[in-house]
Amino acid sequence: MSKAASMFHPKRLDLSGFVNTRVIRDHNKRNAFAQMEPERQALRYIIRNTSLPQRTRAQAQLQLSQMHCYTRPTQIKNRCVASGTARSVFRDFRLNRFQFRMQALAGELPGVKKASW
Amino acid sequence: MSQSRILDLVKTQCRIFSATFNPQRLRLGNKILRQRLRGPTLAAWYPTKIVSFRDLQNTYKPLGLTTFDEAEDDREEAIQITKLRGKGRPKKKRTAAESRSAKKKK
Repeated sequence: MSKAASMFHPKRLDLSGFVNTRVIRDHNKRNAFAQMEPERQALRYIIRNTSLPQRTRAQAQLQLSQMHCYTRPTQIKNRCVASGTARSVFRDFRLNRFQFRMQALAGELPGVKKASW
Repeated sequence: MSQSRILDLVKTQCRIFSATFNPQRLRLGNKILRQRLRGPTLAAWYPTKIVSFRDLQNTYKPLGLTTFDEAEDDREEAIQITKLRGKGRPKKKRTAAESRSAKKKK
Protein backbone atom coordinates (compact mmCIF):
# COMPACT_ATOMS: atom_id res chain seq x y z
CA MET A 1 0.00 0.00 0.00
CA SER A 2 1.34 3.39 -0.96
CA LYS A 3 1.71 5.95 1.81
CA ALA A 4 0.73 8.95 -0.33
CA ALA A 5 -2.06 11.04 1.16
CA SER A 6 -3.12 12.06 -2.36
CA MET A 7 -5.23 8.93 -2.67
CA PHE A 8 -7.70 10.49 -0.24
CA HIS A 9 -8.11 13.69 -2.28
CA PRO A 10 -11.56 13.99 -3.87
CA LYS A 11 -11.89 14.66 -7.61
CA ARG A 12 -13.88 17.81 -6.91
CA LEU A 13 -13.80 19.89 -3.76
CA ASP A 14 -17.22 19.67 -2.10
CA LEU A 15 -16.61 22.14 0.73
CA SER A 16 -18.40 25.43 1.13
CA GLY A 17 -17.73 28.16 3.64
CA PHE A 18 -14.19 28.89 4.78
CA VAL A 19 -11.65 26.72 2.94
CA ASN A 20 -7.90 26.50 3.34
CA THR A 21 -5.35 23.71 2.97
CA ARG A 22 -5.65 22.58 6.58
CA VAL A 23 -9.43 22.46 6.42
CA ILE A 24 -9.28 20.40 3.22
CA ARG A 25 -6.74 18.05 4.80
CA ASP A 26 -8.88 17.54 7.88
CA HIS A 27 -11.94 16.98 5.69
CA ASN A 28 -10.04 14.32 3.72
CA LYS A 29 -9.01 12.62 6.96
CA ARG A 30 -12.61 12.56 8.16
CA ASN A 31 -13.77 11.00 4.90
CA ALA A 32 -10.93 8.45 4.98
CA PHE A 33 -11.83 7.48 8.55
CA ALA A 34 -15.53 7.15 7.71
CA GLN A 35 -14.69 4.96 4.74
CA MET A 36 -12.31 2.62 6.59
CA GLU A 37 -14.03 2.51 9.99
CA PRO A 38 -15.75 -0.90 9.57
CA GLU A 39 -12.41 -2.47 8.61
CA ARG A 40 -10.68 -0.86 11.58
CA GLN A 41 -13.40 -2.05 13.98
CA ALA A 42 -13.19 -5.59 12.58
CA LEU A 43 -9.43 -5.65 13.14
CA ARG A 44 -9.86 -4.23 16.64
CA TYR A 45 -12.40 -6.95 17.42
CA ILE A 46 -9.97 -9.67 16.29
CA ILE A 47 -7.20 -8.14 18.42
CA ARG A 48 -9.37 -7.98 21.56
CA ASN A 49 -10.87 -11.46 21.18
CA THR A 50 -8.74 -13.76 23.36
CA SER A 51 -10.49 -16.90 22.07
CA LEU A 52 -8.87 -16.48 18.64
CA PRO A 53 -5.40 -17.96 17.94
CA GLN A 54 -2.47 -15.76 18.95
CA ARG A 55 -1.10 -15.73 15.40
CA THR A 56 -4.32 -14.31 13.93
CA ARG A 57 -4.43 -11.61 16.58
CA ALA A 58 -0.82 -10.62 15.98
CA GLN A 59 -1.49 -10.42 12.24
CA ALA A 60 -4.51 -8.20 12.86
CA GLN A 61 -2.38 -5.96 15.08
CA LEU A 62 0.19 -5.59 12.33
CA GLN A 63 -2.47 -4.91 9.71
CA LEU A 64 -4.11 -2.24 11.86
CA SER A 65 -0.82 -0.51 12.57
CA GLN A 66 0.06 -0.52 8.87
CA MET A 67 -3.14 1.19 7.77
CA HIS A 68 -2.72 4.71 6.47
CA CYS A 69 -2.50 7.38 9.16
CA TYR A 70 -5.39 9.28 7.52
CA THR A 71 -7.75 6.44 8.51
CA ARG A 72 -7.02 6.98 12.22
CA PRO A 73 -9.61 8.83 14.30
CA THR A 74 -6.89 10.53 16.35
CA GLN A 75 -5.78 12.42 13.24
CA ILE A 76 -9.08 14.28 13.15
CA LYS A 77 -9.10 17.74 14.70
CA ASN A 78 -12.16 19.92 15.15
CA ARG A 79 -11.63 23.11 13.17
CA CYS A 80 -13.65 26.30 13.03
CA VAL A 81 -16.10 26.23 10.13
CA ALA A 82 -15.93 30.01 9.65
CA SER A 83 -12.17 30.63 10.02
CA GLY A 84 -10.35 27.26 9.92
CA THR A 85 -8.76 27.84 13.34
CA ALA A 86 -8.02 24.69 15.34
CA ARG A 87 -7.96 26.27 18.79
CA SER A 88 -10.83 26.90 21.21
CA VAL A 89 -13.54 25.60 18.91
CA PHE A 90 -16.99 25.23 20.44
CA ARG A 91 -18.27 21.80 19.48
CA ASP A 92 -21.93 22.85 19.58
CA PHE A 93 -21.47 25.72 17.14
CA ARG A 94 -18.37 24.42 15.28
CA LEU A 95 -16.99 27.90 15.72
CA ASN A 96 -13.84 29.40 17.12
CA ARG A 97 -14.38 31.50 20.27
CA PHE A 98 -13.75 34.75 18.36
CA GLN A 99 -16.02 33.79 15.44
CA PHE A 100 -18.62 32.71 17.99
CA ARG A 101 -18.46 36.10 19.68
CA MET A 102 -18.72 38.03 16.43
CA GLN A 103 -21.63 35.98 15.12
CA ALA A 104 -23.42 35.98 18.48
CA LEU A 105 -23.16 39.76 18.78
CA ALA A 106 -24.41 40.10 15.21
CA GLY A 107 -27.42 37.98 16.17
CA GLU A 108 -26.62 35.19 13.71
CA LEU A 109 -26.78 32.43 16.33
CA PRO A 110 -30.38 31.78 17.38
CA GLY A 111 -30.88 31.54 21.14
CA VAL A 112 -27.48 32.99 22.04
CA LYS A 113 -27.63 36.13 24.15
CA LYS A 114 -25.00 38.14 25.93
CA ALA A 115 -25.22 37.56 29.67
CA SER A 116 -25.81 40.54 31.89
CA TRP A 117 -26.82 40.66 35.56
CA MET B 1 -31.81 -21.38 43.86
CA SER B 2 -29.14 -23.71 42.57
CA GLN B 3 -26.13 -22.53 40.55
CA SER B 4 -27.24 -24.33 37.36
CA ARG B 5 -30.70 -22.77 37.59
CA ILE B 6 -29.24 -19.26 37.75
CA LEU B 7 -27.01 -20.02 34.76
CA ASP B 8 -30.06 -21.17 32.81
CA LEU B 9 -31.85 -17.97 33.71
CA VAL B 10 -28.90 -15.85 32.52
CA LYS B 11 -28.72 -17.89 29.33
CA THR B 12 -32.37 -17.24 28.44
CA GLN B 13 -31.93 -13.60 29.39
CA CYS B 14 -29.01 -13.34 26.98
CA ARG B 15 -31.03 -15.06 24.22
CA ILE B 16 -33.99 -12.73 24.66
CA PHE B 17 -31.96 -9.52 24.71
CA SER B 18 -29.51 -10.82 22.04
CA ALA B 19 -26.46 -10.53 24.30
CA THR B 20 -23.56 -12.98 24.32
CA PHE B 21 -23.69 -15.65 27.03
CA ASN B 22 -20.24 -15.64 28.58
CA PRO B 23 -20.26 -17.17 32.11
CA GLN B 24 -16.45 -17.65 32.19
CA ARG B 25 -16.03 -13.90 31.59
CA LEU B 26 -13.65 -14.41 28.69
CA ARG B 27 -12.48 -11.34 26.82
CA LEU B 28 -14.26 -11.80 23.51
CA GLY B 29 -14.05 -8.23 22.26
CA ASN B 30 -17.81 -7.86 22.01
CA LYS B 31 -17.54 -4.36 23.36
CA ILE B 32 -16.11 -3.29 20.01
CA LEU B 33 -18.97 -4.87 18.07
CA ARG B 34 -21.42 -3.01 20.32
CA GLN B 35 -19.86 0.38 19.53
CA ARG B 36 -21.61 2.61 17.02
CA LEU B 37 -19.85 3.80 13.89
CA ARG B 38 -18.65 7.38 14.40
CA GLY B 39 -17.58 7.97 10.79
CA PRO B 40 -20.76 9.53 9.33
CA THR B 41 -21.10 12.10 12.14
CA LEU B 42 -17.40 12.99 12.04
CA ALA B 43 -17.45 13.34 8.24
CA ALA B 44 -20.37 15.77 8.44
CA TRP B 45 -18.41 18.42 10.40
CA TYR B 46 -17.74 20.87 7.56
CA PRO B 47 -20.62 22.29 5.50
CA THR B 48 -20.61 20.79 2.02
CA LYS B 49 -21.36 22.50 -1.25
CA ILE B 50 -24.58 21.31 -2.80
CA VAL B 51 -24.92 23.32 -6.03
CA SER B 52 -22.34 25.53 -7.73
CA PHE B 53 -22.86 28.06 -10.50
CA ARG B 54 -21.19 25.72 -12.95
CA ASP B 55 -23.81 23.03 -12.16
CA LEU B 56 -26.57 25.52 -13.02
CA GLN B 57 -24.76 26.43 -16.22
CA ASN B 58 -24.41 22.77 -17.17
CA THR B 59 -28.12 22.16 -16.65
CA TYR B 60 -29.39 25.29 -18.45
CA LYS B 61 -26.96 25.48 -21.39
CA PRO B 62 -28.45 22.43 -23.20
CA LEU B 63 -31.92 24.00 -22.91
CA GLY B 64 -30.74 26.96 -24.96
CA LEU B 65 -30.82 29.43 -22.07
CA THR B 66 -28.01 31.90 -21.59
CA THR B 67 -26.24 32.21 -18.24
CA PHE B 68 -24.06 35.03 -17.02
CA ASP B 69 -21.32 34.46 -14.46
CA GLU B 70 -20.16 37.89 -13.35
CA ALA B 71 -17.08 36.68 -11.46
CA GLU B 72 -15.92 34.60 -14.43
CA ASP B 73 -16.52 37.54 -16.78
CA ASP B 74 -14.46 39.84 -14.55
CA ARG B 75 -11.64 37.33 -14.45
CA GLU B 76 -11.49 37.01 -18.25
CA GLU B 77 -11.54 40.77 -18.64
CA ALA B 78 -8.64 41.16 -16.20
CA ILE B 79 -6.66 38.56 -18.16
CA GLN B 80 -7.29 40.46 -21.40
CA ILE B 81 -6.04 43.69 -19.81
CA THR B 82 -2.86 42.08 -18.48
CA LYS B 83 -2.23 40.50 -21.89
CA LEU B 84 -2.48 43.89 -23.59
CA ARG B 85 0.05 45.29 -21.09
CA GLY B 86 2.35 42.36 -21.86
CA LYS B 87 1.97 40.99 -18.34
CA GLY B 88 0.09 37.82 -19.26
CA ARG B 89 1.24 34.30 -18.47
CA PRO B 90 4.11 32.94 -20.61
CA LYS B 91 3.29 30.43 -23.29
CA LYS B 92 3.31 26.80 -22.17
CA LYS B 93 6.50 24.97 -23.15
CA ARG B 94 5.43 21.72 -24.80
CA THR B 95 8.84 20.09 -25.40
CA ALA B 96 12.04 19.75 -23.38
CA ALA B 97 14.06 21.61 -26.03
CA GLU B 98 11.75 24.62 -25.86
CA SER B 99 12.03 24.93 -22.10
CA ARG B 100 15.83 24.66 -22.27
CA SER B 101 16.11 27.48 -24.81
CA ALA B 102 13.82 29.62 -22.68
CA LYS B 103 16.16 29.18 -19.71
CA LYS B 104 19.23 30.11 -21.74
CA LYS B 105 17.74 33.44 -22.83
CA LYS B 106 17.90 34.63 -19.22
